[in-house]
Amino acid sequence: MVPVLGIDFERLSLQDALDLAVLIEEEARDRYVEFAEQLALHHTPEVADFFSRMARIEERHRTELLQRRRTLFGDVPSGIDRRMIFDVEAPGYEEARAFMGVRQALEMVLASEIKAHAFFDAALPRVKDPQLQSLFRELREEEVHHQALVRAELARCPEKGDDAEAYADDPVAQ
Amino acid sequence: MNAALAPADFKSPLKPIWCPGCGDFGVLQALYRALSAVGRPPHEVAFVSGIGCSSRIPGYTTAYGFNSVHGRALPIAQGVKLANPHLLVIVAGGDGDGFSIGGGHVPHAIRRNVDLTYLVMDNQVYGLTKGQLSPTSPRGLRTVTSPLGSLEQPVNPLLTVLAYGAGFVAQATPADMPGMTALIEEAIRYPGFSFVNIQSPCVTFGEEEQQLRAHKTRMKTLGSLGHDPSNQLAALDLARAYGKELYTGVFYRNPDPPPTYDALVLQRQAELQRGEPRPRARVLERLVQR
Repeated sequence: MVPVLGIDFERLSLQDALDLAVLIEEEARDRYVEFAEQLALHHTPEVADFFSRMARIEERHRTELLQRRRTLFGDVPSGIDRRMIFDVEAPGYEEARAFMGVRQALEMVLASEIKAHAFFDAALPRVKDPQLQSLFRELREEEVHHQALVRAELARCPEKGDDAEAYADDPVAQ
Repeated sequence: MNAALAPADFKSPLKPIWCPGCGDFGVLQALYRALSAVGRPPHEVAFVSGIGCSSRIPGYTTAYGFNSVHGRALPIAQGVKLANPHLLVIVAGGDGDGFSIGGGHVPHAIRRNVDLTYLVMDNQVYGLTKGQLSPTSPRGLRTVTSPLGSLEQPVNPLLTVLAYGAGFVAQATPADMPGMTALIEEAIRYPGFSFVNIQSPCVTFGEEEQQLRAHKTRMKTLGSLGHDPSNQLAALDLARAYGKELYTGVFYRNPDPPPTYDALVLQRQAELQRGEPRPRARVLERLVQR
């Protein structure tokens, strides 16, 4: 699946690249907000809290990038919009499960950080502008840093025992 | 792209209550994007649905919505379109709603060619009522109503609508969000009855090998097979693979769409307003002259 549509990386401006990065963080934030709502509704409050925390982290990243964009380019209208990006850093909807455990959620987040790293890694050779190359390298390295943070959390998380599916009843007809 | 409307403009504050992991979440996102690309504001769009998990979609949009009765979404949508032909009318529902309870309405909506977009979220099971056999359940499927495995031949939605003469027939999966978004947009833009079968698996009662992760490896785009969507016979042939292969893309698009029913109704109304004598009035005139 192609995660972005209608973006020519060879012709991308620094402003568009920053807008793209902002929207990637925004999409991830919105997805974690949705997952938090879904899991809260489906009686999995610990994982709902975890996803709320993830949404706040993505929002912080988005705000930082947006600040840079505004400092450099003010409020000049963007040539990039949300319809162009599909789950670059946001986990796919199919990854969530009712009664999932924190470990499963962490593994999902790690996979998403790896996916985002792969996106910037694949885009980098297509970018010609040195300023853009530097930005994409920075964004790619950020994803490595995030992966390390998630791996550290995973190491602290018990291997088994937090997966409520293990003791949930099988669905039955009513 | 129309920058005036964002996907978020179509999102209502009501939160979906589908099970986490359900394919319908992706369908809803694709709909928001497709509608923003089409560029008609929410007050010019109407959703009509029947009953089922996917039939909750009208409530999750800012457009007009009617979550109607089981299997009756198509006749109600036809009424909405004829009452206000300027509305963009989208019908959403599941395979049970469309091909079992409402199955009798499908051929008539197609033959009338009312300008509707019919999105079927085909999960091959009755999910909302907790996992009974549905019209598209594969043979052998074990459910609470077929504990030893289904003995029935499933309905093939693609073959059904093609055989009845639908002008636009496509299949999508939420495993390919850009592809599904583009197909929904194309279906909405098609002038006439358009149908998209969306393989949207049930995460709770569906089979593991039918889930979206499996779709990502199984799906094949019709474009990659070199299919010509204007070839109706080739479309029928490819549609036979429903249940065996997961083909995505446009099976058939009528290259020369006939006038829609709603356009014909508007044309007739215009004729009447121009004062052209109605057939009944002509008969009356003849009687008076005697």
